[in-house]
Amino acid sequence: MENKTYTDGYLSIEISKTASNIVVNLTGKSTSRNPGIFLAPILQQVITESDYGTREIVLDFRELTYMNSSTITPIIKFLNKAKIGNERVSLLYLKTLKWQELSFSALSIFKTKDDRIMIKGI
Amino acid sequence: MTKMLNFDLTADWENLDHIRSKVEHFLKQNHFGLNDIYSIVMVCSELVENAIKYGDYNSPQSKISINIELNDSGIITEVKNPMLENNNRHVRQLDKTIQWIRGFQNPFEAYREKLKEVAEKDYIVDESGLGLARIAYEGESILDFYLEDKNMINVTAVYQITKDK
Repeated sequence: MENKTYTDGYLSIEISKTASNIVVNLTGKSTSRNPGIFLAPILQQVITESDYGTREIVLDFRELTYMNSSTITPIIKFLNKAKIGNERVSLLYLKTLKWQELSFSALSIFKTKDDRIMIKGI
Repeated sequence: MTKMLNFDLTADWENLDHIRSKVEHFLKQNHFGLNDIYSIVMVCSELVENAIKYGDYNSPQSKISINIELNDSGIITEVKNPMLENNNRHVRQLDKTIQWIRGFQNPFEAYREKLKEVAEKDYIVDESGLGLARIAYEGESILDFYLEDKNMINVTAVYQITKDK
């Protein structure tokens, strides 16, 4: 997977890869009726490219300005899959934005005790 | 003192952005803070998304009606739309989900349970019920609904304004 940007409507996903991590930066708004069609294959490819936890996956939502509830489904399916597997994931959000704090802190149910999966308000 | 925003629109997904902008503008004009604005915009948008998904718009005149009422204690968002006659399945599911949410001590617990459920199961697209749980938790709103004549359903979300917000 080369560094790449994917766009669907108002939502952009920029992926950049180094030897140690894959950063997935979501910007704009996710408002599609079925955002899983766009998001799920990208997230699956990121899991593949992380090479069984060799690269940490960083999901950065800090520049996302809005998402509908349908967007949450592919995200939590991804987190659940990573939790069951070997992947290392850090999900970043802005804790100063109330909606992000409420929305993403709830995803702490996917955290692991060994911090292999982390949900971080910054 | 009560203030209102009401408008009708066709059940097109492309209208959602316009709705969010309109609601945001109305709340800004009435001097609400960013957190209240985001909550109500989200609540209204989620209710309209459900109206689009589950309503019946076979007649060209069929529309979704949105009403937002501001009063001293809160913000009431109402979304009304036509349904298929005898669409009992949707009404039952709506009632079941609202009662399920109310069964928890607080909406945060309901939301977390719904997240776990959705993460582990395969839902038919559009039917997870996550939107309603999100309205209750993140939108800090109390949900209810009632049926009107001529197969109309009216879903409401009541958001209480507190100083801390």
